[in-house]
Amino acid sequence: MSSLQATRPEMKRLVLGIAAVIAIWGGLLPALLRCPAIARHVARMEERGVNPTAMYYTELDRLPLRPEWVDRRLTLWP
Amino acid sequence: MRPQLHEDTAATLVGLTIVALALAVTWAARPAVEPASRQAYPKGWPTPLSSTIDKPQTWADSPLEALCDKKGRSVVVPVLMGMGWVVLVGMAGALLGGRSVVRGLPGTVAVTALAGTAYLLAGQKVIHYYNLEYPLWALGVGLLIGNIVGVPAWLGRGLAGEFLIKTGLVIFGAEVLFGRLLELGLPGLLTAWIVTPIVLVTTYLAGVHLLKIPSRPLCMVVSADMSVCGVSAAIATGAACRAKKEELSLAIGLSLFFTVIMMVAMPPLIAWMGLDPIVGGAWIGGTIDATGAVVAAGEALGKEGGEVAATVKMIQNSMIGVIAFAVAVYWAGWVEHDGQQREGSLAAEAWRRFPKFILGFLVASLVCSWLFTRSPEAALWVDGTTTGFTSRLRGWLFCAGFVCMGLQTNFHELAPALGSGRPLVLYVAGQLLNLVLTLGMASLTFGWLFKKMVEP
Repeated sequence: MSSLQATRPEMKRLVLGIAAVIAIWGGLLPALLRCPAIARHVARMEERGVNPTAMYYTELDRLPLRPEWVDRRLTLWP
Repeated sequence: MRPQLHEDTAATLVGLTIVALALAVTWAARPAVEPASRQAYPKGWPTPLSSTIDKPQTWADSPLEALCDKKGRSVVVPVLMGMGWVVLVGMAGALLGGRSVVRGLPGTVAVTALAGTAYLLAGQKVIHYYNLEYPLWALGVGLLIGNIVGVPAWLGRGLAGEFLIKTGLVIFGAEVLFGRLLELGLPGLLTAWIVTPIVLVTTYLAGVHLLKIPSRPLCMVVSADMSVCGVSAAIATGAACRAKKEELSLAIGLSLFFTVIMMVAMPPLIAWMGLDPIVGGAWIGGTIDATGAVVAAGEALGKEGGEVAATVKMIQNSMIGVIAFAVAVYWAGWVEHDGQQREGSLAAEAWRRFPKFILGFLVASLVCSWLFTRSPEAALWVDGTTTGFTSRLRGWLFCAGFVCMGLQTNFHELAPALGSGRPLVLYVAGQLLNLVLTLGMASLTFGWLFKKMVEP
Protein backbone atom coordinates (compact mmCIF):
# COMPACT_ATOMS: atom_id res chain seq x y z
CA MET A 1 0.00 0.00 0.00
CA SER A 2 1.40 3.37 -0.82
CA SER A 3 -1.48 5.74 -1.42
CA LEU A 4 -2.56 8.58 0.78
CA GLN A 5 -6.23 7.93 0.13
CA ALA A 6 -7.07 5.40 2.80
CA THR A 7 -10.38 3.70 2.12
CA ARG A 8 -13.19 3.54 4.69
CA PRO A 9 -12.36 -0.05 5.76
CA GLU A 10 -8.70 0.92 6.15
CA MET A 11 -9.61 3.92 8.28
CA LYS A 12 -11.93 1.72 10.31
CA ARG A 13 -9.11 -0.78 10.93
CA LEU A 14 -6.75 2.04 11.91
CA VAL A 15 -9.27 3.48 14.38
CA LEU A 16 -9.81 -0.01 15.81
CA GLY A 17 -6.06 -0.51 16.13
CA ILE A 18 -5.61 2.80 17.92
CA ALA A 19 -8.58 2.03 20.18
CA ALA A 20 -7.00 -1.33 21.08
CA VAL A 21 -3.71 0.39 21.96
CA ILE A 22 -5.54 2.94 24.14
CA ALA A 23 -7.52 0.17 25.86
CA ILE A 24 -4.42 -1.93 26.57
CA TRP A 25 -2.12 0.87 27.68
CA GLY A 26 -4.80 2.94 29.36
CA GLY A 27 -6.77 0.17 31.08
CA LEU A 28 -5.29 -3.31 31.01
CA LEU A 29 -1.65 -2.55 31.82
CA PRO A 30 -2.42 -0.12 34.69
CA ALA A 31 -4.77 -2.80 36.09
CA LEU A 32 -2.04 -5.45 35.79
CA LEU A 33 0.24 -3.17 37.76
CA ARG A 34 -2.05 -3.68 40.74
CA CYS A 35 -1.64 -7.50 40.69
CA PRO A 36 0.44 -8.40 43.77
CA ALA A 37 3.12 -10.43 41.94
CA ILE A 38 3.66 -7.79 39.25
CA ALA A 39 3.53 -4.95 41.78
CA ARG A 40 6.20 -6.71 43.87
CA HIS A 41 8.48 -7.19 40.84
CA VAL A 42 8.09 -3.54 39.78
CA ALA A 43 8.63 -2.26 43.34
CA ARG A 44 11.79 -4.40 43.71
CA MET A 45 13.22 -3.12 40.43
CA GLU A 46 12.42 0.50 41.31
CA GLU A 47 13.84 0.18 44.80
CA ARG A 48 17.13 -1.19 43.44
CA GLY A 49 17.29 1.28 40.57
CA VAL A 50 17.38 -1.45 37.90
CA ASN A 51 16.58 -0.58 34.29
CA PRO A 52 15.69 -3.96 32.73
CA THR A 53 15.24 -2.46 29.25
CA ALA A 54 18.85 -1.29 28.99
CA MET A 55 20.04 -2.50 25.60
CA TYR A 56 23.71 -1.91 26.48
CA TYR A 57 25.59 -1.37 29.72
CA THR A 58 25.88 2.39 29.10
CA GLU A 59 22.09 2.66 29.57
CA LEU A 60 22.14 1.18 33.07
CA ASP A 61 21.31 3.51 35.96
CA ARG A 62 24.58 2.40 37.59
CA LEU A 63 27.59 1.35 35.52
CA PRO A 64 28.88 -2.10 36.54
CA LEU A 65 31.95 -1.51 38.70
CA ARG A 66 35.00 -3.72 38.74
CA PRO A 67 34.44 -6.05 41.72
CA GLU A 68 37.13 -5.61 44.35
CA TRP A 69 38.21 -9.26 44.21
CA VAL A 70 39.53 -8.78 40.68
CA ASP A 71 42.43 -6.79 42.09
CA ARG A 72 43.37 -9.45 44.62
CA ARG A 73 46.31 -11.70 43.96
CA LEU A 74 45.36 -14.38 41.48
CA THR A 75 45.43 -17.84 43.04
CA LEU A 76 45.16 -20.72 40.66
CA TRP A 77 43.49 -23.91 41.88
CA PRO A 78 41.52 -24.10 45.12
CA MET B 1 25.99 21.12 -6.98
CA ARG B 2 24.77 18.74 -4.26
CA PRO B 3 27.09 16.05 -2.90
CA GLN B 4 25.89 12.50 -3.52
CA LEU B 5 27.66 10.37 -0.98
CA HIS B 6 26.98 6.68 -0.55
CA GLU B 7 24.71 6.03 2.44
CA ASP B 8 27.51 4.21 4.34
CA THR B 9 29.91 7.13 3.85
CA ALA B 10 27.29 9.68 4.91
CA ALA B 11 26.42 7.63 8.03
CA THR B 12 30.11 7.35 8.93
CA LEU B 13 30.70 11.09 8.46
CA VAL B 14 27.64 12.13 10.46
CA GLY B 15 28.24 9.56 13.20
CA LEU B 16 31.92 10.34 13.71
CA THR B 17 31.24 14.10 13.66
CA ILE B 18 28.65 13.66 16.42
CA VAL B 19 31.03 11.53 18.54
CA ALA B 20 33.86 14.07 18.11
CA LEU B 21 31.52 16.96 18.94
CA ALA B 22 30.20 15.18 22.03
CA LEU B 23 33.72 14.40 23.29
CA ALA B 24 34.79 18.00 22.70
CA VAL B 25 31.81 19.48 24.57
CA THR B 26 32.27 17.09 27.52
CA TRP B 27 35.98 17.94 27.67
CA ALA B 28 35.27 21.68 27.56
CA ALA B 29 32.93 21.32 30.55
CA ARG B 30 35.19 18.93 32.51
CA PRO B 31 34.88 19.22 36.30
CA ALA B 32 37.55 21.14 38.17
CA VAL B 33 37.10 19.15 41.39
CA GLU B 34 38.27 15.52 41.61
CA PRO B 35 38.16 14.89 37.86
CA ALA B 36 39.59 11.38 38.33
CA SER B 37 37.19 10.21 41.04
CA ARG B 38 34.87 7.37 40.07
CA GLN B 39 33.10 7.88 43.43
CA ALA B 40 32.35 11.53 42.59
CA TYR B 41 31.30 10.75 39.00
CA PRO B 42 29.97 7.16 38.93
CA LYS B 43 28.64 7.55 35.37
CA GLY B 44 31.54 9.66 34.13
CA TRP B 45 31.89 13.43 33.83
CA PRO B 46 28.53 15.18 33.52
CA THR B 47 28.12 16.52 30.01
CA PRO B 48 26.08 19.64 29.16
CA LEU B 49 24.75 17.75 26.14
CA SER B 50 22.70 15.51 28.43
CA SER B 51 20.26 18.38 28.92
CA THR B 52 19.63 18.42 25.15
CA ILE B 53 18.30 14.88 24.93
CA ASP B 54 16.08 12.54 26.91
CA LYS B 55 13.22 10.15 26.32
CA PRO B 56 9.75 9.80 27.89
CA GLN B 57 10.08 8.37 31.41
CA THR B 58 8.34 5.37 32.96
CA TRP B 59 4.66 5.75 33.87
CA ALA B 60 2.02 3.73 35.70
CA ASP B 61 -1.52 4.98 35.05
CA SER B 62 -1.29 7.99 32.76
CA PRO B 63 1.16 8.67 29.90
CA LEU B 64 1.37 12.25 31.19
CA GLU B 65 3.52 10.89 34.04
CA ALA B 66 6.15 10.14 31.37
CA LEU B 67 6.78 13.85 30.99
CA CYS B 68 8.43 14.20 34.42
CA ASP B 69 11.53 12.42 35.72
CA LYS B 70 11.90 10.68 39.10
CA LYS B 71 12.67 14.00 40.78
CA GLY B 72 9.53 15.60 39.36
CA ARG B 73 11.34 17.78 36.80
CA SER B 74 9.75 18.18 33.38
CA VAL B 75 11.50 16.35 30.54
CA VAL B 76 9.36 17.88 27.79
CA VAL B 77 12.11 20.16 26.47
CA PRO B 78 14.91 17.51 26.41
CA VAL B 79 12.51 15.01 24.80
CA LEU B 80 11.59 17.51 22.09
CA MET B 81 15.27 18.38 21.63
CA GLY B 82 16.08 14.66 21.38
CA MET B 83 13.55 14.42 18.58
CA GLY B 84 15.19 17.49 17.06
CA TRP B 85 18.55 15.64 17.01
CA VAL B 86 16.94 12.80 15.02
CA VAL B 87 15.47 15.28 12.54
CA LEU B 88 18.88 16.97 12.22
CA VAL B 89 20.59 13.64 11.53
CA GLY B 90 17.90 12.75 8.98
CA MET B 91 18.35 16.12 7.25
CA ALA B 92 22.14 15.72 7.21
CA GLY B 93 21.67 12.30 5.59
CA ALA B 94 19.37 13.75 2.94
CA LEU B 95 21.79 16.61 2.25
CA LEU B 96 24.85 14.35 1.95
CA GLY B 97 22.90 11.81 -0.09
CA GLY B 98 21.88 14.46 -2.63
CA ARG B 99 18.17 14.36 -1.75
CA SER B 100 15.92 17.31 -1.08
CA VAL B 101 15.97 18.22 2.61
CA VAL B 102 12.72 20.20 2.41
CA ARG B 103 10.74 17.45 0.67
CA GLY B 104 11.89 14.84 3.19
CA LEU B 105 11.38 17.01 6.27
CA PRO B 106 7.65 16.33 6.97
CA GLY B 107 8.23 12.58 6.73
CA THR B 108 11.27 12.71 9.03
CA VAL B 109 9.32 14.75 11.60
CA ALA B 110 6.42 12.27 11.45
CA VAL B 111 8.77 9.27 11.88
CA THR B 112 10.40 10.98 14.87
CA ALA B 113 6.99 11.64 16.43
CA LEU B 114 6.11 7.95 15.96
CA ALA B 115 9.43 7.04 17.62
CA GLY B 116 8.37 9.21 20.57
CA THR B 117 5.07 7.31 20.67
CA ALA B 118 6.98 4.00 20.70
CA TYR B 119 9.11 5.23 23.62
CA LEU B 120 5.91 6.27 25.42
CA LEU B 121 4.41 2.78 24.96
CA ALA B 122 7.67 1.17 26.13
CA GLY B 123 7.66 3.37 29.25
CA GLN B 124 4.55 1.86 30.84
CA LYS B 125 5.87 0.19 34.00
CA VAL B 126 4.61 -3.36 33.33
CA ILE B 127 6.18 -3.22 29.84
CA HIS B 128 9.36 -1.54 31.11
CA TYR B 129 10.06 -3.75 34.12
CA TYR B 130 9.38 -6.93 32.15
CA ASN B 131 11.94 -5.86 29.57
CA LEU B 132 9.77 -5.42 26.48
CA GLU B 133 12.17 -2.94 24.91
CA TYR B 134 11.32 -0.04 22.61
CA PRO B 135 12.31 -1.77 19.30
CA LEU B 136 9.27 -4.00 19.67
CA TRP B 137 6.91 -1.03 19.95
CA ALA B 138 8.69 0.98 17.28
CA LEU B 139 8.28 -1.94 14.86
CA GLY B 140 4.68 -2.44 16.05
CA VAL B 141 3.70 1.21 15.51
CA GLY B 142 5.25 1.15 12.03
CA LEU B 143 3.68 -2.18 11.11
CA LEU B 144 0.25 -1.04 12.32
CA ILE B 145 0.25 2.12 10.24
CA GLY B 146 2.10 0.72 7.22
CA ASN B 147 -0.11 -2.34 6.90
CA ILE B 148 -3.43 -0.68 7.57
CA VAL B 149 -3.41 2.67 5.78
CA GLY B 150 -0.11 2.41 3.91
CA VAL B 151 2.66 4.94 3.56
CA PRO B 152 1.70 8.20 1.87
CA ALA B 153 4.24 9.71 -0.51
CA TRP B 154 5.15 12.61 1.80
CA LEU B 155 5.94 10.14 4.61
CA GLY B 156 7.78 7.80 2.25
CA ARG B 157 10.24 10.57 1.34
CA GLY B 158 11.27 10.81 5.00
CA LEU B 159 11.85 7.10 5.51
CA ALA B 160 15.58 6.74 5.95
CA GLY B 161 15.56 3.80 8.36
CA GLU B 162 18.80 2.23 7.17
CA PHE B 163 20.64 5.53 7.32
CA LEU B 164 19.39 6.23 10.85
CA ILE B 165 20.37 2.75 12.05
CA LYS B 166 23.80 2.92 10.39
CA THR B 167 24.46 6.35 11.92
CA GLY B 168 23.27 5.02 15.28
CA LEU B 169 25.71 2.13 14.93
CA VAL B 170 28.66 4.42 14.19
CA ILE B 171 27.77 6.46 17.30
CA PHE B 172 27.31 3.19 19.20
CA GLY B 173 30.98 2.43 18.47
CA ALA B 174 31.93 5.00 21.13
CA GLU B 175 30.29 2.77 23.77
CA VAL B 176 32.09 -0.43 22.69
CA LEU B 177 35.25 -0.15 24.80
CA PHE B 178 37.86 -2.88 24.60
CA GLY B 179 39.28 -1.82 27.99
CA ARG B 180 36.08 -3.10 29.58
CA LEU B 181 37.07 -6.62 28.50
CA LEU B 182 39.49 -7.00 31.36
CA GLU B 183 37.10 -5.86 34.09
CA LEU B 184 36.67 -9.39 35.43
CA GLY B 185 40.10 -10.69 34.60
CA LEU B 186 40.69 -14.16 33.27
CA PRO B 187 37.55 -15.91 34.62
CA GLY B 188 35.32 -13.32 32.98
CA LEU B 189 37.21 -13.52 29.71
CA LEU B 190 37.05 -17.33 29.66
CA THR B 191 33.31 -17.34 30.38
CA ALA B 192 32.39 -14.65 27.86
CA TRP B 193 34.97 -15.07 25.12
CA ILE B 194 35.29 -18.83 24.74
CA VAL B 195 31.66 -19.89 24.95
CA THR B 196 30.14 -17.01 22.96
CA PRO B 197 32.02 -17.58 19.66
CA ILE B 198 31.52 -21.36 19.92
CA VAL B 199 27.75 -20.92 20.38
CA LEU B 200 27.55 -18.26 17.67
CA VAL B 201 29.34 -20.33 15.02
CA THR B 202 27.68 -23.65 15.98
CA THR B 203 24.18 -22.13 15.93
CA TYR B 204 24.79 -20.41 12.60
CA LEU B 205 26.11 -23.61 10.99
CA ALA B 206 23.22 -25.63 12.45
CA GLY B 207 20.73 -23.14 10.99
CA VAL B 208 22.32 -23.28 7.54
CA HIS B 209 23.18 -26.97 7.28
CA LEU B 210 20.96 -28.90 9.69
CA LEU B 211 17.74 -26.88 9.73
CA LYS B 212 18.39 -25.73 6.15
CA ILE B 213 16.98 -22.25 6.73
CA PRO B 214 17.22 -20.66 3.27
CA SER B 215 18.36 -17.25 4.51
CA ARG B 216 21.93 -17.16 5.85
CA PRO B 217 21.53 -13.60 7.21
CA LEU B 218 18.53 -14.78 9.28
CA CYS B 219 20.64 -17.62 10.75
CA MET B 220 23.43 -15.16 11.57
CA VAL B 221 21.16 -12.55 13.17
CA VAL B 222 19.32 -15.13 15.30
CA SER B 223 22.65 -16.69 16.35
CA ALA B 224 24.21 -13.33 17.22
CA ASP B 225 21.30 -11.92 19.23
CA MET B 226 21.03 -15.20 21.16
CA SER B 227 24.74 -15.67 21.87
CA VAL B 228 26.07 -12.11 22.25
CA CYS B 229 23.74 -9.50 23.66
CA GLY B 230 20.29 -9.41 22.15
CA VAL B 231 18.93 -6.49 20.17
CA SER B 232 22.16 -4.49 19.93
CA ALA B 233 24.04 -7.52 18.54
CA ALA B 234 21.18 -8.24 16.14
CA ILE B 235 21.32 -4.68 14.81
CA ALA B 236 25.11 -4.69 14.42
CA THR B 237 25.41 -8.11 12.77
CA GLY B 238 22.21 -7.57 10.75
CA ALA B 239 23.79 -4.48 9.24
CA ALA B 240 27.09 -6.31 8.67
CA CYS B 241 25.45 -9.21 6.79
CA ARG B 242 22.74 -7.10 5.13
CA ALA B 243 19.83 -8.94 6.75
CA LYS B 244 16.38 -7.97 5.45
CA LYS B 245 14.27 -5.81 7.73
CA GLU B 246 11.72 -8.58 8.31
CA GLU B 247 14.55 -10.97 9.30
CA LEU B 248 15.89 -8.47 11.79
CA SER B 249 12.36 -7.89 13.15
CA LEU B 250 11.88 -11.65 13.63
CA ALA B 251 15.23 -12.09 15.39
CA ILE B 252 14.51 -9.17 17.73
CA GLY B 253 11.03 -10.52 18.52
CA LEU B 254 12.47 -13.96 19.39
CA SER B 255 15.18 -12.44 21.55
CA LEU B 256 12.79 -10.21 23.53
CA PHE B 257 10.31 -13.04 24.08
CA PHE B 258 12.89 -15.46 25.49
CA THR B 259 14.66 -12.73 27.46
CA VAL B 260 11.48 -12.11 29.47
CA ILE B 261 11.13 -15.84 30.21
CA MET B 262 14.79 -16.28 31.19
CA MET B 263 14.83 -13.10 33.29
CA VAL B 264 11.97 -14.45 35.40
CA ALA B 265 12.93 -18.14 35.41
CA MET B 266 16.71 -18.20 35.91
CA PRO B 267 17.05 -16.80 39.48
CA PRO B 268 14.63 -19.38 40.99
CA LEU B 269 16.25 -22.10 38.86
CA ILE B 270 19.69 -21.16 40.22
CA ALA B 271 18.34 -21.22 43.78
CA TRP B 272 16.69 -24.60 43.14
CA MET B 273 19.95 -26.01 41.75
CA GLY B 274 21.81 -24.70 44.79
CA LEU B 275 24.42 -22.95 42.65
CA ASP B 276 26.93 -20.57 44.19
CA PRO B 277 25.60 -17.02 43.53
CA ILE B 278 28.83 -16.04 41.77
CA VAL B 279 28.63 -19.03 39.40
CA GLY B 280 24.92 -18.31 38.95
CA GLY B 281 25.70 -14.66 38.19
CA ALA B 282 28.23 -15.66 35.54
CA TRP B 283 25.68 -18.08 34.08
CA ILE B 284 23.02 -15.36 33.90
CA GLY B 285 25.49 -12.83 32.44
CA GLY B 286 26.57 -15.24 29.73
CA THR B 287 23.15 -16.45 28.67
CA ILE B 288 20.36 -13.85 29.04
CA ASP B 289 20.37 -11.74 25.89
CA ALA B 290 19.56 -8.22 27.07
CA THR B 291 21.90 -6.28 29.35
CA GLY B 292 19.16 -4.74 31.49
CA ALA B 293 17.47 -8.11 31.97
CA VAL B 294 20.81 -9.57 33.13
CA VAL B 295 21.05 -6.89 35.81
CA ALA B 296 17.42 -7.43 36.82
CA ALA B 297 17.91 -11.21 37.16
CA GLY B 298 21.37 -10.87 38.74
CA GLU B 299 20.02 -8.60 41.48
CA ALA B 300 18.00 -11.55 42.78
CA LEU B 301 21.25 -13.42 43.53
CA GLY B 302 22.62 -10.77 45.87
CA LYS B 303 25.43 -8.22 45.61
CA GLU B 304 28.27 -10.47 44.43
CA GLY B 305 26.14 -12.50 42.03
CA GLY B 306 24.61 -9.33 40.58
CA GLU B 307 28.05 -7.74 40.11
CA VAL B 308 29.41 -10.80 38.31
CA ALA B 309 26.29 -11.07 36.10
CA ALA B 310 26.49 -7.41 35.03
CA THR B 311 30.22 -7.52 34.42
CA VAL B 312 30.19 -10.77 32.39
CA LYS B 313 27.47 -9.17 30.25
CA MET B 314 29.54 -6.00 29.89
CA ILE B 315 32.47 -8.12 28.64
CA GLN B 316 30.13 -9.82 26.16
CA ASN B 317 28.81 -6.38 25.13
CA SER B 318 32.36 -5.40 24.22
CA MET B 319 32.55 -8.28 21.75
CA ILE B 320 30.04 -6.66 19.40
CA GLY B 321 32.74 -4.70 17.56
CA VAL B 322 34.90 -7.73 16.83
CA ILE B 323 31.93 -9.89 15.89
CA ALA B 324 30.31 -7.29 13.60
CA PHE B 325 33.65 -6.77 11.86
CA ALA B 326 34.27 -10.53 11.49
CA VAL B 327 30.74 -11.07 10.13
CA ALA B 328 31.15 -8.21 7.63
CA VAL B 329 34.48 -9.64 6.38
CA TYR B 330 33.07 -13.20 6.18
CA TRP B 331 29.98 -12.01 4.32
CA ALA B 332 31.86 -9.82 1.90
CA GLY B 333 34.56 -12.40 1.21
CA TRP B 334 32.80 -15.74 1.32
CA VAL B 335 28.99 -15.60 1.47
CA GLU B 336 27.90 -12.90 -0.97
CA HIS B 337 29.87 -14.15 -3.95
CA ASP B 338 28.78 -17.78 -3.42
CA GLY B 339 28.63 -19.50 -6.79
CA GLN B 340 29.57 -16.34 -8.67
CA GLN B 341 32.72 -15.47 -10.58
CA ARG B 342 34.96 -13.30 -8.43
CA GLU B 343 36.05 -9.92 -9.85
CA GLY B 344 39.75 -9.59 -8.99
CA SER B 345 41.35 -10.90 -5.81
CA LEU B 346 39.43 -12.07 -2.76
CA ALA B 347 40.61 -9.00 -0.85
CA ALA B 348 39.46 -6.62 -3.62
CA GLU B 349 36.11 -8.37 -3.88
CA ALA B 350 35.67 -8.36 -0.10
CA TRP B 351 36.50 -4.65 0.06
CA ARG B 352 34.03 -3.85 -2.73
CA ARG B 353 31.20 -5.58 -0.87
CA PHE B 354 32.26 -4.59 2.66
CA PRO B 355 29.68 -2.37 4.44
CA LYS B 356 31.91 0.69 4.90
CA PHE B 357 30.01 2.20 7.85
CA ILE B 358 31.33 -0.73 9.94
CA LEU B 359 34.71 1.02 9.61
CA GLY B 360 33.17 4.17 11.13
CA PHE B 361 31.86 2.02 13.98
CA LEU B 362 35.35 0.54 14.49
CA VAL B 363 37.06 3.94 14.35
CA ALA B 364 34.71 5.31 17.03
CA SER B 365 35.26 2.18 19.13
CA LEU B 366 39.06 2.14 18.78
CA VAL B 367 39.47 5.88 19.47
CA CYS B 368 37.23 5.80 22.55
CA SER B 369 38.84 2.54 23.75
CA TRP B 370 42.28 4.15 23.41
CA LEU B 371 41.11 7.28 25.27
CA PHE B 372 39.48 5.12 27.95
CA THR B 373 42.77 3.45 28.82
CA ARG B 374 44.88 6.65 28.86
CA SER B 375 44.08 7.73 32.44
CA PRO B 376 41.30 7.61 35.05
CA GLU B 377 40.25 11.13 33.94
CA ALA B 378 40.00 10.03 30.30
CA ALA B 379 37.93 6.98 31.30
CA LEU B 380 35.45 9.28 33.07
CA TRP B 381 35.48 11.61 30.06
CA VAL B 382 34.48 8.75 27.72
CA ASP B 383 31.94 7.31 30.19
CA GLY B 384 30.30 10.73 30.69
CA THR B 385 30.08 11.36 26.96
CA THR B 386 28.56 7.97 26.19
CA THR B 387 26.17 7.65 29.13
CA GLY B 388 25.10 11.30 29.05
CA PHE B 389 24.68 11.83 25.34
CA THR B 390 25.71 9.33 22.65
CA SER B 391 23.81 6.35 24.11
CA ARG B 392 20.64 8.46 24.29
CA LEU B 393 21.01 9.72 20.73
CA ARG B 394 21.80 6.20 19.51
CA GLY B 395 18.57 5.01 21.21
CA TRP B 396 16.49 7.66 19.43
CA LEU B 397 18.11 6.86 16.06
CA PHE B 398 17.50 3.12 16.47
CA CYS B 399 13.92 3.79 17.58
CA ALA B 400 13.20 5.99 14.54
CA GLY B 401 14.99 3.43 12.33
CA PHE B 402 12.74 0.66 13.63
CA VAL B 403 9.63 2.77 12.99
CA CYS B 404 10.78 3.11 9.37
CA MET B 405 11.41 -0.65 9.18
CA GLY B 406 7.91 -1.34 10.49
CA LEU B 407 6.35 1.09 8.02
CA GLN B 408 8.16 -0.59 5.13
CA THR B 409 7.48 -4.19 6.21
CA ASN B 410 4.52 -6.07 4.87
CA PHE B 411 2.92 -8.64 7.19
CA HIS B 412 2.90 -11.06 4.25
CA GLU B 413 6.70 -10.84 4.01
CA LEU B 414 7.00 -11.97 7.64
CA ALA B 415 4.68 -14.93 7.16
CA PRO B 416 7.07 -17.41 5.43
CA ALA B 417 9.78 -16.94 8.05
CA LEU B 418 7.29 -17.22 10.90
CA GLY B 419 5.33 -20.06 9.34
CA SER B 420 8.20 -22.52 9.01
CA GLY B 421 8.98 -22.33 12.74
CA ARG B 422 12.63 -23.12 11.98
CA PRO B 423 14.04 -19.81 13.30
CA LEU B 424 12.27 -20.56 16.60
CA VAL B 425 13.82 -24.05 16.70
CA LEU B 426 17.22 -22.52 15.89
CA TYR B 427 16.91 -19.99 18.71
CA VAL B 428 15.79 -22.58 21.28
CA ALA B 429 18.46 -25.14 20.30
CA GLY B 430 21.18 -22.48 20.30
CA GLN B 431 20.07 -21.12 23.66
CA LEU B 432 20.09 -24.63 25.17
CA LEU B 433 23.66 -25.12 23.95
CA ASN B 434 24.53 -21.69 25.35
CA LEU B 435 23.00 -22.58 28.74
CA VAL B 436 24.91 -25.87 28.99
CA LEU B 437 28.30 -24.55 27.82
CA THR B 438 28.10 -21.35 29.88
CA LEU B 439 27.13 -23.26 33.02
CA GLY B 440 30.08 -25.60 32.44
CA MET B 441 32.53 -22.75 31.88
CA ALA B 442 31.17 -20.64 34.78
CA SER B 443 31.45 -23.64 37.12
CA LEU B 444 34.99 -24.33 35.89
CA THR B 445 36.27 -20.76 36.14
CA PHE B 446 34.29 -19.06 38.92
CA GLY B 447 33.45 -22.24 40.84
CA TRP B 448 36.78 -24.11 40.74
CA LEU B 449 39.83 -22.73 38.90
CA PHE B 450 39.59 -19.21 40.34
CA LYS B 451 37.35 -19.99 43.30
CA LYS B 452 39.70 -18.54 45.92
CA MET B 453 40.12 -15.36 43.94
CA VAL B 454 36.43 -14.67 43.55
CA GLU B 455 35.25 -15.61 47.02
CA PRO B 456 34.00 -12.47 48.80
